[in-house]
Amino acid sequence: MDPLSAALKIAGSGLGAQSERLRIVSENLANAQSTGDTPGAEPYRRKTISFAAELDRATGGSTVEIAAIGNDQSAFPLEFQPGNQAADANGYVKMPNVNVLIEMADMNEANRSYEANLQVIKQARDLISMTIDLMRSQS
Amino acid sequence: MDPVNLFDLAAQQARWLSVRQTTIAGNVANANTPGYRANDVEPFEQVLDRTRVAMTATQAGHLGGGATDANYAVRQQEPDTAVLPSENTVALESELIKAGEVRRSFELNTAIVKAFHRMVMLSSKA
Amino acid sequence: MIGTISPLGPQALSKPTSIVPEAAQAATGGVASSFAAALADAATQTAATLRQAEQMSIAGMQGHADTREVVDAVMTAEQSLQAAIAIRDKIVTAYLEVSRMGI
Repeated sequence: MDPLSAALKIAGSGLGAQSERLRIVSENLANAQSTGDTPGAEPYRRKTISFAAELDRATGGSTVEIAAIGNDQSAFPLEFQPGNQAADANGYVKMPNVNVLIEMADMNEANRSYEANLQVIKQARDLISMTIDLMRSQS
Repeated sequence: MDPVNLFDLAAQQARWLSVRQTTIAGNVANANTPGYRANDVEPFEQVLDRTRVAMTATQAGHLGGGATDANYAVRQQEPDTAVLPSENTVALESELIKAGEVRRSFELNTAIVKAFHRMVMLSSKA
Repeated sequence: MIGTISPLGPQALSKPTSIVPEAAQAATGGVASSFAAALADAATQTAATLRQAEQMSIAGMQGHADTREVVDAVMTAEQSLQAAIAIRDKIVTAYLEVSRMGI
């Protein structure tokens, strides 16, 4: 495959991976306070995403793929909310194991990577245009 | 230095720059992949030396055969900053700087080719 | 006289010549004795600037030369080539006109 088109394909895979990551982060943030319905029920469990590099024979480069979307198995923090419908006998509610600060930092990094991939796409597209422009005659 | 055809050299450099762009794209796409090591192509001077040696080895008077099926070695870079716990060595800033270099060289390359092409066409006109 | 101004084709650009820019300078420094000598000087200088532009471009692509130097060399070559071609066209037209004149 033409190297510049390969660059477009690779950067496109990066865009896809980062937007999936942003989706997971926003799902975590939206559910940061989602407790269960009944006493002692499990709240929302944080989701995680991991990437893997895929050596593409056709392009000769490495695209990025989503290896897995998993669940964060860390323990649920307990909060004292006796009025909550999910409060157990002692008045403690299991809260989702989502740390808003960590999610925000993850979102920033995902945005940054997304922008970088976008820049690569723009540049590859410009280089292709420049090459085709060689044929264009002036005067 | 041996006399070299300008258009052949430009074509070879354009291909090298495109392969470098692809490598940069791979690094940027895998900036968050655990265990991924940043890659870069071998320098252009090395490529020229290699093809020159190959050309003199086959036939002394033969020129211009290096541009077609050159395969550029893509090697893992030495990480110059601290390696993260995730073993990922991609630094987005240096990748974008490299992309800027690629762009500048590519623009010069196409501009040179366009100018010399214009001159050849001009002098061939009746 | 016409023979010295030959069309500059792709062969001239890729074949190495032994023209040295300094020699061309020395040639054009002195007063041209005749019109033919002046035209020969112009042709030599054009070939020299073209050679210089080609060398600068090769150096630029290998990273040994400044971008501005390469651009300047190529533009100078283009200018002198344009002038040489204009002169050549005028000469050809003049020759044809002279050849059409009645004896």
